[in-house]
Amino acid sequence: MNLTKEIGILLRKEMTIEWRQKHALGGILLYVISTVFVVYTAIKGVQPNVWNALFWIVILFASVNALVKSFVQENSSRQLYYYTIANPTAIILSKIIYNSGLLFLLTLLSYGAFILFAGNPVKDVGQFFLAMFLGSVGFSISFTFVAAISAKANNSSTLMAILSFPIVIPIILTLLKLSSNALRLMQDSSISKDIMTLVAIDVLMIATAFILFPFLWRD
Amino acid sequence: MRKYWWKILGVFLIVYSFTMGLLVPLKPGIAYFEPGATQAGKAYEMTITGYNTFYTKATAAPRVWLKYDSVHMLIADRVEVLGDRQLKARFNLPGSLPTEKQVAVTSLIIDDDYNGFAVKPGSVFITADSSLQEISIGKAAWGKTEVSGVHEKDQFNFPYRVQLSETIRNLYYHVPFWFAMFIIFIAGITQSVQYLRTNNPEYDYKSMSFTMVGTLFGVIGLITGMIWAKDTWGTYWTWKEVKMNMTAIALLVYFAYFILRQSFDDDERRARISAVYSIFAFAAMIALLYVVPRMVSSLHPGSGGNPALGADDLDNSMRLVFYPAIIGWTLFGVWLTSLIYRMQMVRERIYDQ
Repeated sequence: MNLTKEIGILLRKEMTIEWRQKHALGGILLYVISTVFVVYTAIKGVQPNVWNALFWIVILFASVNALVKSFVQENSSRQLYYYTIANPTAIILSKIIYNSGLLFLLTLLSYGAFILFAGNPVKDVGQFFLAMFLGSVGFSISFTFVAAISAKANNSSTLMAILSFPIVIPIILTLLKLSSNALRLMQDSSISKDIMTLVAIDVLMIATAFILFPFLWRD
Repeated sequence: MRKYWWKILGVFLIVYSFTMGLLVPLKPGIAYFEPGATQAGKAYEMTITGYNTFYTKATAAPRVWLKYDSVHMLIADRVEVLGDRQLKARFNLPGSLPTEKQVAVTSLIIDDDYNGFAVKPGSVFITADSSLQEISIGKAAWGKTEVSGVHEKDQFNFPYRVQLSETIRNLYYHVPFWFAMFIIFIAGITQSVQYLRTNNPEYDYKSMSFTMVGTLFGVIGLITGMIWAKDTWGTYWTWKEVKMNMTAIALLVYFAYFILRQSFDDDERRARISAVYSIFAFAAMIALLYVVPRMVSSLHPGSGGNPALGADDLDNSMRLVFYPAIIGWTLFGVWLTSLIYRMQMVRERIYDQ
């Protein structure tokens, strides 16, 4: 069985499982909306720079909560079954692709919720969408890999936060810069360099994840 | 003895860096002077305060220049030695500047046979006279003299920089810790890779010991950096300084590594997963320490035009202490690692019995 076909099947499996456990997805959506609402009531009249920071903080926490279950939602005997039949590269790649899609959807919904409650200060929509997309991919790679690590440990939810937050800081900082340009909080002529930096971090992390995941998976 | 030569060398180099770094005096320099600004066409009398200078020991009174560029400069008409640290110099400024600009920024140069040669660049501001005069007059008046016959001293001294002053010595303690930390972290990563290849638990203990020492060096590097920051930037911690914050985050990554190690019961699993995490974290740290600081402006040397370890900034006398300090601390770190590793192995053996 070739890799792309295997990834396709695994992706369909992920979606089926998500569909069967609708409460997980619904819980995350409710989490985002209530967080945005709390932010809105706490700071009335959100300034664009605060909007920008809060947006990415809400996305960060929502992403951690959404992805912490990546490797624990299925029981260990089923994990063993996947281990015997599937290629570890296909497994990590399908998880990353699926989680990227999920996070991008989540980001779009949060953006909608922010527009609804806190207004829309975004001036360059195309660039903001690019930032949201690259951010989802970067978060997905690092959080999926860390979720795989913390799933093997005893107290996984605490570990997830302490292991992943320092790792995503380069991504967050680049995203903040990119999106503050999209909000016209600052004028940056070297925006393509920022995008390249973000892509380079993503590539570095995905390469490390590919090499290391087979060792993690073996149990 | 033959087996432990590197430990002796390491200790020797550290002792050497401490004695040399703390005992060698700074070069004589110009600490400050007043007034810092004057007008063309007036007599300008300045009081200069030196640093580490002995003006009374010079056989002739020091010569003082104001230098605009390589051909335009003025020499002081009269220089009076008030004390070892104090000079009074008097210039008769011509009515016109050697430039079309309204302000000429000149460097102050002092030379005598005992203290040698000292420069304070870009320090005296001379504003043009309001009644405009020909530039050619100024060019002629400023071009009469040149800085010649200066006394280059061959003493072994560290350079004097106004902002750093004596804290320049921290270069031998703050920076070598970073270099040593990096070498030790890389050694730890290679041990992790070795573990994943061979599954030999010895490599896991080695990797953990290296990471422990590397983290310790990182903390020391951060603390010495904070002390230096308090002196030069006026604060222990600043959010404007990206390298400082990135370093704190990188250390958080390594603290998380030790917490991760605590949360496994099974030895084999702990070894494997912490090896995987340490490699992943190292990749993230490269992004943290080398990509992000290039993107934002920073106060730290090495970015935004601030001096760092370039050829112009690091004096030869400093290299003689700085490089041995790096080697010394690295060897010391390896020694510490081997002690921690052996302690771990002994502990394992006791548990097994």
